[in-house]
Formats: sequence, C-alpha cells, structure tokens
Amino acid sequence: MNRSIMKLGVVLVVLYVALFAKLNWIQVVDKNSLDNNPINTAQVRRDFNRPRGSIVTADGVVLAQSIANPDTSSEFKRMRVYPQGELFGQVTGYFSFRYGSSGLEKQYNDELSGSTFDQQVKSFGDLFLARENVGNVSISLRKDVQETARQQLGDREGSVVVLDPRTGAILGSWSWPSYDPNTVSSLDKAVAEASWKSLNSATGVPMRPHFYQDRYFPGSTFKVVTAGVGVQTGKVTNTEPSYPYVDSYTPEGTNKPIKNFGGETCGGTLPDILRVSCNSAFAEMGAETIGPVDMVAGAGSFGFNSAAPIDMPEPAKSVFPTNVGNNPPKLAMSSIGQNDVQATPLQMALVASAVANGGVIMKPHYLTEVRNVQGDIVSSYTPSKWLTPLSTLSAATLFEDMVGVATSGTATGMAIPGCTVGGKTGTAQLGTEPPRSHTWIMGFAGPPGKPPTVAVAVVVLNQSGGSEATGGRVAAPIARAVLQTALAAQGGC
Amino acid sequence: MTRRRNTELGLMLMTVVIVCAAYVLASLGSESRIPANIIPFLIAVIALFMGAHIAVRRLAPGADPILLPTVTLLNGLGYVVIAGLNERLAAAQATWTAIGIIGFVLTLWWVKRPRDLERYRYTFALVGIGLLLLPLVPGLGYDAGSGSQIWVKFGPINFQPGEIAKVALAIFFAAYLADQRELIATSQWKIGPLRLPHPKYLGPVLIAWGITLLVMFYQKDLGSSLLFFALFLVMIWVATQRTSFLVIGGGLFATGALFAWRTLDHVKVRVDIWLDPWKTPSGNGYQIIQGMFAMAFGGLTGTGLGRGGDTRIPAAENDFIFAVIAEELGLLGGSLIIIAYLLVIGSGLRIAAATDQVFDKLLATGFTLLLGLQAFVIVAGVLRLLPLTGVALPFISYGGSSLVMNYVILALLLRVSDQTSTRAMNRAAAAVAA
Repeated sequence: MNRSIMKLGVVLVVLYVALFAKLNWIQVVDKNSLDNNPINTAQVRRDFNRPRGSIVTADGVVLAQSIANPDTSSEFKRMRVYPQGELFGQVTGYFSFRYGSSGLEKQYNDELSGSTFDQQVKSFGDLFLARENVGNVSISLRKDVQETARQQLGDREGSVVVLDPRTGAILGSWSWPSYDPNTVSSLDKAVAEASWKSLNSATGVPMRPHFYQDRYFPGSTFKVVTAGVGVQTGKVTNTEPSYPYVDSYTPEGTNKPIKNFGGETCGGTLPDILRVSCNSAFAEMGAETIGPVDMVAGAGSFGFNSAAPIDMPEPAKSVFPTNVGNNPPKLAMSSIGQNDVQATPLQMALVASAVANGGVIMKPHYLTEVRNVQGDIVSSYTPSKWLTPLSTLSAATLFEDMVGVATSGTATGMAIPGCTVGGKTGTAQLGTEPPRSHTWIMGFAGPPGKPPTVAVAVVVLNQSGGSEATGGRVAAPIARAVLQTALAAQGGC
Repeated sequence: MTRRRNTELGLMLMTVVIVCAAYVLASLGSESRIPANIIPFLIAVIALFMGAHIAVRRLAPGADPILLPTVTLLNGLGYVVIAGLNERLAAAQATWTAIGIIGFVLTLWWVKRPRDLERYRYTFALVGIGLLLLPLVPGLGYDAGSGSQIWVKFGPINFQPGEIAKVALAIFFAAYLADQRELIATSQWKIGPLRLPHPKYLGPVLIAWGITLLVMFYQKDLGSSLLFFALFLVMIWVATQRTSFLVIGGGLFATGALFAWRTLDHVKVRVDIWLDPWKTPSGNGYQIIQGMFAMAFGGLTGTGLGRGGDTRIPAAENDFIFAVIAEELGLLGGSLIIIAYLLVIGSGLRIAAATDQVFDKLLATGFTLLLGLQAFVIVAGVLRLLPLTGVALPFISYGGSSLVMNYVILALLLRVSDQTSTRAMNRAAAAVAA
C-alpha cells in the first residue's frame, strides 16, 4: 500500500506545482496586462482609500484636500475636493479614480500619499502612535496673484506666468480657459465621465495647462533673446553697431524684404532698436552680426529646444529652428521671433528672469516644502540654477535696455510708479485680413536700485490688430496689475 | 518522544511570533497604528497554540511535530487576513478557532486508539450519509446565498453538515476497506480480455458515485461532490492496489460531470466562467476577474498586510481568501501557503506510510487527501486552473464547521502518528528486555 501512498504523494505534488506555476503566471508574467486592464481600478481605489495630504498655497489657501466621503455606503472612504475650483485647476490637476491624476497631484503623488523614502524613514519612529503618515505639500503660488491674473485676462484666451527670478518660485500661473477639477475627480462615475467628455470637447482644451504646455510664436519678445545672444557673444553693445535707418531689411538669398511695422523707418544702436522693436535691425543682427551658429547656440542657452525643468508633468519644449545654417532669410525671420520659433509663456518669463537675475535662470518651481500632519517639515526645496545664458555684465546691459522700453518704448503700459520696471512687447501676427495676432509682453519689476523681485510673461491669444502697439495695449495692463499684486505681497517696491 | 515535542514547541513559538507580528503589521498597514488589543490578542494566541501543544505533549507525545505548527500558522494567518477584511467575522473566527482547538484536544483525549473508531464503522456510515442528506430536509436545510443547499439550521445553530460527513465517511471507508480489501483485491470478473473487480465489490463504488451525483444535483455543491468521490476512489485504490478502480471510477465521474455540464445550469455557468470570464466581466466573471486583478496587483512581494483586502471580491474571506493573501503577501506569501499545504500533505502521507495498521494507514491517507485535495481544488479555482467550486481553504477560510472538523482531522492524524511511534518504542523496549 505504501507504493500507492507514494504515488498519491507524487500526484499531489504535481498538482501543487501546477498551482505554483499558475500563481507565477498571474502575479509575474501577466501582471502588467492585468494591472493595465481598463476595468481594473485596484491602484486608484487603493490610493483613494488611503489618507492623502493637502496642497496649500504660500498665502495659506488650501487647493486640494481629502475629506471623509459623506456617503458611508460607498466603496470609497474618502473624497478629494478642490475648494478653489478652476482658479488653480490646471496647477493642482485632478485626482480621479477613473482617469488617474494630473498636475501637482501627479507630480507629488508620493509626497501626498506619504510614500517617499524620507517620509517612510521618519515615520518609522512613529510606529507606536496613531497618526496618518501623509505629506502636506506647500507651493509658492499665491491666491491674490492668481486672482488678479484671472480678473485681468477675463474671458480672453491666454496665459499669465509670474515668478520670482531670484529663486524660480512660481507666484502665479493662470491660463484661460481653465476648469474645475472637482467634477472630473467625482466619485460618481457618471459625473466624472460626463465631465471628462465635455471638457475634452470644449474649445480651448480647458484641462491643458497652457502656460507651460502650449507654444506660440513669441513675436518681438524674442528680440530680447537675440539681443542677449549678441551682447553675450560680444558682437553687440549698447553703442556698437548702429543699424541703418531703413523701413525694411532684405536678407541674402531672397528678394522678399522683412518690413517694419506700418512701414516705419527705424534703426540705430541696441537701446534704440529695442525701445521701438525695430524688425529690420534685429533681423540683420541675427542674420549678419551674430550668424547662425551663435544664434542657435545662444537660443539654446536661454532654454530653447529643451523642456523647462518645472515640477509638473510633461513640460513642452520651446523651439528655435536649428536648420538655419545656409538659410539667411529663415535666420533673419527667426531672430525676430517669427518663422519656426515657438515659446511657451513660461519660457518667455524665464527669459525675462535671466535678465532680471544677473544672467542666471533658476529652475521654475512650485514646491516649497512638504510637511507631515504635525506641521514638521519633512523635506524642503532648495532653489537651484538651470541655465546661465548671460554674464552679469551682459545682463546689466539688457536690464538697462529693457527698463528703457518700459520707460519710453512700446512697454510703457506696464510701468509702475516707484518701481523699476523693464519689459518687452510682442505681436505675433496670425493673419492680415482682418489683422489678428497673439499679443505678448514680458518683463520684470522691483524696488529701485535693487535686483528685480518679480518676472512676468503674458500672452493674450488671437486679438484684433497687428501693429507693434497691440502688445503694449492689450497685454501690458495685465502684466502691470499682476506685477503690482506680486510686489505688494513682497512688501512693495 | 520528548525531542519531537521540543521541536514542536520551538516551531509553535515561531508560529506565535509570526502570527502576532502579522497581526501588528496588518493593523499598521490598514490604519497606521498598533492594534489596541495586541496584549489580549497575544495572550489568546499563546493560550490557544500552547494549549494545543501541551495537549499533544500529554496525550500524544510521540506524534509528528510538524503538523500542528504548520496548521496553526495557516489558521493564524487566515485570522489576520480575515481581521483585515471584516472585524465582525474575525471575532467569530477567533471563537471558532478556540472551539476547533478544544475539539482537537477532546478528540485526542477521547480517541486513545484509532481502532476504537473502527468498531463504529456503520454508525459513521449512517451518520455520514444522514448528515450529507440533512440539508435536503425541508425546513432544516437552506442556501446561505452561495447557490449551494449545504446549510442546516438547528435553532440558533447554523452549520454545514457536509464538513462532518466528510470525516465520518472517511472513517467508514477506511474501516470498510481495511476489512474487505483482500477480497476486493483478489476478486475477478473476466469480460473478454478485461479483468475487472467482481460486481459485488463494485457496489460500494456505485453507491459512492450515487452520493456524489446526489450532492452535485440537489445541493449544487460541486467541490464537495468531487472531494467525496476522489476520497473514495483513492482510498479503494490504495487499499487494493487495483488501478482498474481508478479507471472505472474516473470514467463514471467524467460521465457524471459531462452529464451535469449538459443538464445543470449552475454547472454550465461555472464552466463558462472558467473558459472565458472576460465575456461577463461585471456579471458572472466578476468574482474571478477581481480575484486575478487583486493577485496581479500584489505582484512579487504583495501590497503588505492590511493594505490589500479588496472588498470588491465577493466571498473574499471564504472561497477567495487565497486571492487576498496573494495580493497582500504577493507571490512569496502565496507560495508560502502552497508550501505549507505540501508540508501538511507530506507529514500526513508519511504518517500513513509509517504505520503498519491497515485501518490507520487508510485513515491517514484519506484525511491527508481530504485536506490536500480540498486546498488544491479551491486554490485552483481561484487561479482559474479549474472551474471554481466553492469549498473552504482548510484552516484559512472563514467558517466554523470546516475549521472545527479540520482540527478533528488533525487530532486523528496525530493520534495515528503517536500510535505508530509508541508501538515502535514498545517493540524496541521489548527487544532490549529480551
């Protein structure tokens, strides 16, 4: 009988080995496809039922928090709410059991859910206490700046980015159209799906954070980059060269002239041509004075052709064409921010901040610190450099010239009494019949005699008008208002 | 004999540590705090596990030292997982564990020799068949919502008589076969070139088959019917060494199963789900798909105790508890459970092989098969290796009847083991004396 018992044992072992094999198949081999199955909500349900920290602005306003689900019969114990709605929707992003997460919710998921290494290690000592091991994320945004931007932009499509050039801390980032993340994050599947559908078919893509994910022709604001490259390479100074007073410039290899706005005649040295935003002079500066090699490298040194290292998911790359070597017409057009040049509003704010911060672009950043539920700091952000496109001396030259534009040039609309303000307007024409354009302004402001404390970029899309004055007229008041709010928060000039 | 008991004591202490640590980790995982009742829990675990150990030390000092620690580990981990799913069920499961261990001690104390059971074979047969049919009595039996008519309500007490019937029938089979095996083994019935057992001895096979079909058709309990039949077939095969029983029995079972699949809706549904659960992911296939999601989510190392416990799996604390364990403890934990059952099987079959008493041998084989095959059937169902049949995962699943009867089985296995080593000692002592 023992032989039969042994055989029985062998059969049972074989059966159990089959179990082991199938368990391996499900948990290892097939894991990814099961995890990613569209009807599998294991991951989000777990995240939803665990505590999650809040997102709080620099002025103490709660942007996102988890509260107990009032519906106690629900499979979700908690729900995520966004008390400020659309005002910060594109920054916080959504946290949806149906659609995953976006924005800061995605970027700082580990911090919010308390699963970073730091948090785990620090909470190890708390093993014997009943407390939730989550992180509350503090960010540099301010509600007052954000509200000013929303109020100023109104129902026009566009973006406003305000940052502190000394640290890269983002003080305001507003785009319209925006959206309210509450509905997409709803626990009611039908509400979430309906809202997702309508937001995705809405004009202007409200769920897209336009200020760092959308690119537009920067128009004349790009002339600051061209000027910066010229000064930094030593090929341009405030006195040399002096460009001819003409109404157009015709690059080599074409007979199509680049005309000045309204057929006006302009020229002269850098401060003069920047003040009036002289197309012919900057086209010649890029195509002849600087040349393709330095122009491409210089644009790159300002952050073009790479994505800004903002702490948000999927930042867009701003673009300066690299195939301008044997193409003077293209180089000339690119040097005045036309042709294939494209920039995010964030990128142009960073160009302004390079001039404002002695030539150094700091990494643009939202996070300031992560605190545990007791309010102790778990980790904090230390500002760091991204790029150094200008020397201190070159930056000082550009600074002086941009202040000139705001005092007696196209950007006088953004001047603030008692403060030192520098700026540059832009008008990227979209069509001529009737004339429409993206209107830009970028610049900086601060107390007189001290380094600027705020940098800004504003773009208002698809405005009627096509003259260089358009940018000053449309965008300058917006920039002025947000600069004032941001400066007031810092204690004024 | 003391060495065996000291080995067991060491293993039991490790089990206590593992179960208590798992309990704390599960609470940390789900609520980020040390459970408030950790001290009473610790005392209860030590009292129960050590009580069982001391009972073995006193009542069956020569018994196998591996089985009890392995089984209490499974029981303890099962409790921790159930506690993470549902506190109310956990309290009931704790009570059932206590009753189970009391049943274990009482069985050891009451059954001094397995032979004592052999005498009551027909009583066991009657009790077994009676209990099996009990749920079919109008007014007594009911369906607890699982689709199987396997519950009985006696006043305030609800139980699954099938769990007791399994043990009673295993005892009867062992006694019957121990008696008749020579006759059955040597009987001849030639049909042409075939040499079959005499029809007289095929009778019991047909009766067992009938019971199986009855359970399948009227109680709709596929898992139990499979277990009964496999139990009987394997025992008769081990007793007689005649493979023809396996062939004939297997054929009968296959015919019955095919017929059931064709005619019984609930069988057809189970097979359809098994073949393609994705056809009805939110209907019939829901449970098995959610189970697979949970296990896949666990991956290699699991989500951590208390951090899975997916409330979306229906019957997570019972039929699907393996999926929850595999989610929380991952492939490593799932493999641990599989290995633990292999240890139980290995120890059980070694006990069967070691004894020279035919009845004891058959009894130990039958009981080991009951535990090993039942665990296989339900885990294979959860893993979609076989169609799902709702049976409890021995010692782990929530459920009183099953847990208590499994402890009785454990006690009887240890009793057989103890008898064997006692006899060997006596023989050695006699040899020395001579």
